[in-house]
Amino acid sequence: MKNKKIKNSGSITILFLCVVMISISCNKYLPEDRETVGEDSQFTVDMYQPVLGRTTFFTDNFFKGSTSFPASFKIVNPRRRSGEPANELTDVFPVKVWKKAYDGNEKSLAEIEAKREIQNRPIFEMSPHTGALTMWAEARSAYIRSQPDSGYLFDIELSNSGGRRYYRNMKLMPLRERPYEPSNYNPISGQPLSNGVFPSVVSNIKGVATNRYLSFYDVDVYIRKLEGTGVTSNSLSFKFLDTLFNPIDPALFSNTDWPNLVHGFDMKMTATGVTYNVAFPIPLVELPTRYTTPDGRRSKVQFGYSRLGFGGRKEDALLGLDFAIYEPGSWEIVFAFKNENPKFTND
Amino acid sequence: MRFACCIIVLALITTFSSKSFAQNNITISGVVKEKDSGDGKAGVTISAGKPPKPIGYSDSEGRFSVVVPVGSELIFSFVGFIPVNRTVTANVTSLEITIEASQNSMQEVVVQGFKSKTRETSSGSSTVISGRAVQNVPVSNVVELLQGKVAGLNVQNNTGSPGSMGTIQLRGLSSNNISADGFLTPTSPLFVIDGVPVDVNTNYEYGFQGGGPGISPLALIPPEDIEQFDVLRDAAATSQYGSRAAYGVIIITTKRGQSKVPIIQYSSNFFMKTPPRLREIVGGREERLNRIRAILDYDTSILSSQALINQTPFLSDSLNPYFNNATNWQDYYFRNTFNQQHNLSIYGGDRTFNYKTNLNYYKEDGIVENTGFKRYSLSMNALYQPTDAFRMVVNLSGSLGQKQNGSGVGLVQTGVAAGSSTSSLLPPPSLFSENNSALATASIVNNNKTTNIASSLDLQYEPISGIRFGNLLSYSFNSGTADRFTPSFLKSGSSEAYNYNDRTYTLYNRSTISLVKTLNDIHNFSGYVFNEINSYGFRASAILLNQTPNDQIQGPLGYNWSATRGGTLNNINDTRQHGYGASFSYNYDRKYILDISYRFDGLSTNGPSQGYSQNPAISVRWNFNKEKFFDNSGWLTYGSLRGSWGRNIKPTGSIFDVFGKYRVGDQYNNNPTVYIDYNIVPNTNFLPETQTQTNGGLEFGLWNNTVEATFETYYRSIDNQVMDIALADINGFNMLKIYAKSLVNYGFEWSTNFRLLKQNKTWQWSVSVNGGLNKDVLTKLPNELRQMTVGINETVNGVTTSVPVVYRIGRNSLSNLMFHTQGIYASTDDVPVNIATGKRLQLGNGTGYYFQGGDPRWTDINGDYVIDENDLLPIGNPQPLVTGGIGSQLSYKGFQLNVNVTYTIARDLLNTALADALKNYTSPTSLNALLPIDNFNYWKPSPSDKGTGTVNAQYPNPYDFRRAGTLMPFRTNQTLFLEDGTYWKINNMVLLYNVNRDVLKRFGMTSCRLSLSANNVYTFSNYSGPDPELVTGLGRDNSGGYPNARSYAVGINIQF
Repeated sequence: MKNKKIKNSGSITILFLCVVMISISCNKYLPEDRETVGEDSQFTVDMYQPVLGRTTFFTDNFFKGSTSFPASFKIVNPRRRSGEPANELTDVFPVKVWKKAYDGNEKSLAEIEAKREIQNRPIFEMSPHTGALTMWAEARSAYIRSQPDSGYLFDIELSNSGGRRYYRNMKLMPLRERPYEPSNYNPISGQPLSNGVFPSVVSNIKGVATNRYLSFYDVDVYIRKLEGTGVTSNSLSFKFLDTLFNPIDPALFSNTDWPNLVHGFDMKMTATGVTYNVAFPIPLVELPTRYTTPDGRRSKVQFGYSRLGFGGRKEDALLGLDFAIYEPGSWEIVFAFKNENPKFTND
Repeated sequence: MRFACCIIVLALITTFSSKSFAQNNITISGVVKEKDSGDGKAGVTISAGKPPKPIGYSDSEGRFSVVVPVGSELIFSFVGFIPVNRTVTANVTSLEITIEASQNSMQEVVVQGFKSKTRETSSGSSTVISGRAVQNVPVSNVVELLQGKVAGLNVQNNTGSPGSMGTIQLRGLSSNNISADGFLTPTSPLFVIDGVPVDVNTNYEYGFQGGGPGISPLALIPPEDIEQFDVLRDAAATSQYGSRAAYGVIIITTKRGQSKVPIIQYSSNFFMKTPPRLREIVGGREERLNRIRAILDYDTSILSSQALINQTPFLSDSLNPYFNNATNWQDYYFRNTFNQQHNLSIYGGDRTFNYKTNLNYYKEDGIVENTGFKRYSLSMNALYQPTDAFRMVVNLSGSLGQKQNGSGVGLVQTGVAAGSSTSSLLPPPSLFSENNSALATASIVNNNKTTNIASSLDLQYEPISGIRFGNLLSYSFNSGTADRFTPSFLKSGSSEAYNYNDRTYTLYNRSTISLVKTLNDIHNFSGYVFNEINSYGFRASAILLNQTPNDQIQGPLGYNWSATRGGTLNNINDTRQHGYGASFSYNYDRKYILDISYRFDGLSTNGPSQGYSQNPAISVRWNFNKEKFFDNSGWLTYGSLRGSWGRNIKPTGSIFDVFGKYRVGDQYNNNPTVYIDYNIVPNTNFLPETQTQTNGGLEFGLWNNTVEATFETYYRSIDNQVMDIALADINGFNMLKIYAKSLVNYGFEWSTNFRLLKQNKTWQWSVSVNGGLNKDVLTKLPNELRQMTVGINETVNGVTTSVPVVYRIGRNSLSNLMFHTQGIYASTDDVPVNIATGKRLQLGNGTGYYFQGGDPRWTDINGDYVIDENDLLPIGNPQPLVTGGIGSQLSYKGFQLNVNVTYTIARDLLNTALADALKNYTSPTSLNALLPIDNFNYWKPSPSDKGTGTVNAQYPNPYDFRRAGTLMPFRTNQTLFLEDGTYWKINNMVLLYNVNRDVLKRFGMTSCRLSLSANNVYTFSNYSGPDPELVTGLGRDNSGGYPNARSYAVGINIQF
């Protein structure tokens, strides 16, 4: 009797288990929860033309559509136009990356450098989950094909748990280095088109000879990298030349905020020029700081002086340049008054 | 009354005694007592003879006296009680019979399909709840008390507005359609009240969208009049209700006269409602200093901060009496109220003729000022069955509901929410104060009425034994009106009168021919064919008068005709449905049961190219306790296995979706023109929503029903859900309505009942536990999409926020689209930096808003160092995983203590209320209310450096007001405010006392029960908001909801 009881309660347990199993087994007929790769998702840019020698970050170049994130993006099969594989794009190079945010308040070069480090990365890199592309500043036309060469082709693989999709024949056509901006080099041939560039601001500067206000055409700006012996560190100098190419004492630009002219340190001012130890590129980050233009894309220098003009009126003269320098080295920026010298004396 | 009883008893005695001289007769007298109470049981039928025929009834005190031949067998029977047999012997003339309530739930009468059966022979899944479960606790809507009573029935009382209804779902989510303002389409089961179908989903939206009365049709049912609820869950049980039964069916049967002795029953409750604990608010000077401190600390410069303070009069002009206050606004909105309800019912009769009349009055003043609900109802029914061949049942009920909504509309009280989140610095409400919502709540003249007339006539005729013709005709008419007058001082000098009226009708007729045949006593066949006609319609008109002559004259014309509106609303609806079907049942010796049914329906909203919708159902049952191998098992009282599969439909859309809408245009060549409305393309393939459900169940009772349990599992797929698909602008039409969405619910339900003490003890205790685990999965979207986002514009405190909902195949059918918050940045150095550009994580591309210490750490899903819409994830499930209840019933002699607990487990709630309260801190120059913030672990900067601060803070820096406008650190679409909404709630506790019968005799009563009850007693929850139940169907806690009141009641129930 007792055995029978156990057997019976066993059978009711089996029935119960059956009910539970039925409920669980329904699961497998349901669709699984997965991500989507959308039909309508597209790269909005298919030709990438980074300027070599600068870090270029292409973002916002993917229309998500019905694709759901997280998703993975990968560069597949980078090749030259001739079809041979482009190993130079996939090989890793030591590149300088930011590890902490630059904010323009750093007090020394060491503090700036502590925010960066060298990492080994492919020179042309895709952010793994975004579709953003980066061409690192260490890329040089010496080993990367630049225009007028037709450059490279590559495919992008987009994948997530919903499947994968390839975007084929994206074009990479880098432009030659233009180590500084504003630039006087032709972007494709790399040849200079003029002697120098124009300053950004020329205001209230009177010429000594004609007493007229000088204009942009009266000033040439030469941005030069100093090479050769004695050039050791990363520095930036400002010089002013008169019509005879004699140096003008920078101290004459007495309204200039010399300590905060650029984000540089150890200012040395002589009668011929003023030099700062700086970190490159200039500006370091496209971020509005006290040293940059309001959009943060260029560093901004302004030299000023005041004098008494006609009738005893105060005239505030201003000479300025918005510029960027991408290549490390010892650089100088020369303002040459080519037609007429500026007047510093009172009327 | 007693006199009338005596006469009837005397009449009975004389009637029966006049027949009884021929044989060796004996007069037997005695008393029938009810086992539980020990009181006399009135109306017990005493039968004798072969076959037994009724020969007498017990009187109101349980006494009886019959004259019968010696040796005959007397049967004492009463519905719901175990019959007692006694053989009459010559030497016994006095009998004391104890009659006991039937505990065998297998003999319970359940209604499935159109037929009443014993539970033993019904193969569908259904639950019976006695009407007693909803009595003793006074509530305006009886559905509130069904919470936690039925496994799989998820009732969330998410509004405390008197006369409204919370949300009710059977077996999970049936539709994930959402209105633009963030309300989930209601998918309540179909209610059938005494044969009259009441679809509470249709026109339900008037509760919050427009100016309708906001009275739920179910609030018009007096709870005292309810005999039982039958909750039909699976497709086999609901198959006969085919149309509109896709979300389940709840049948409400009102009381019937069943006592030969007429009974007058009066019950009354006096109850007090108290508002929930109100939130704490920073008041007066402290509030002002808090704002000033925030501006001084966080403005861009000290000069700017001083300028801002000086430009803000309520901060700088602190001695101005208009700003020099500390007003507690919530006090002006909430109140304690005293309410009452009365019910009188008179019923009596026997099997051949019985009747019932019920009168009900209910009055409840809402805990929010100027809100309240009153119900007046009168209902009656009568059954006339002169012979077994003919039966007629008539039901008639009329009820009137009256409601004040204050300044809100039914479900939501935005005025109260906005008002109570107003700055304490403003002066208390008066004609001259700026904040008028308090005044508006109190002074808007608002009167809403719903009248309902419902009637049904059920005729059955059996000309030949075994073949029965039946016809049920029912008609229900509902008329609602709403009048609202807003005086001019509340509306910038423009008074406004709004009048609304609607009418809904439902006409239903069903004719059946049924056949019953039994062969060899073991093969039982039954079947029927039926046809059904259903017609229902709704029409609402409204008129809005702007700028009436003055505040006393509320019409008939508004001065400002350009702002005056009127006409019939566009939710007009007139639907026809006719259905034909057949059903066949076979059972073999009540052991193996097979039910098959098939019906097809034609609908006026069906696309003409789709024809009739077909709804088959099949179900089986195996009562395995009747098998031989269980013959000797004393422990198994009953046991059975059930399985069913079937399909139902639910009409959706309107005739305009099928055939298009035509408009009258301008004259052309002196002829009127008619053109098609280019908004929606006619879709002749339109189909009703279809539910296909598979159900499995196991029921057993052990050890003489000491333990009873039912386990069920189901898989239901709801297909053809309507969706608006926007068309490309080259199509001419804007939108196509198609059936394109499917979702699946599967789950497991349990209901168990334990009798913890032996049956014959004075102490009796039984505990029932039930619950349902439900998961829903979205299985289909239109256009082969796998994911869709639906925007929502919810307005909370006048601010429109938007947390879109994501439909994603394979996932729960509603998810929130939101940022994933992983804590707060303790310092600016913690913010990730783009290695290529050297910039910190930023909000939006190129906005210049970089994250810093004290900002929320939102996960950058795609790693582009920009937080934008690409980083939104589908997160959360607003549908609870498990819902259910626990009930305990403890009795000792005349005392009884009932406790009901409900639980809702694993549900994701969005605490919009908290987000909103904290957000107030980010705008120190706005006149909003400030909550005491010290209770929250928010980020505070370190004194030396504003870039670093509290480590492991829970909430972001609330004071950084200059950046907050863009950054919105307290935005609701982030997981910071997504909380677990699990709660356990003590629904109600009732203490009953049956006064001793001997005492009652002196007052001429037969029964008197006193009750003390508390409702909505306490909620246990980790949820940080005010009430985890008071949330929308999407799980969002908008502070605009009407809070649930706690109530305490004293009641009395007297029977003569």
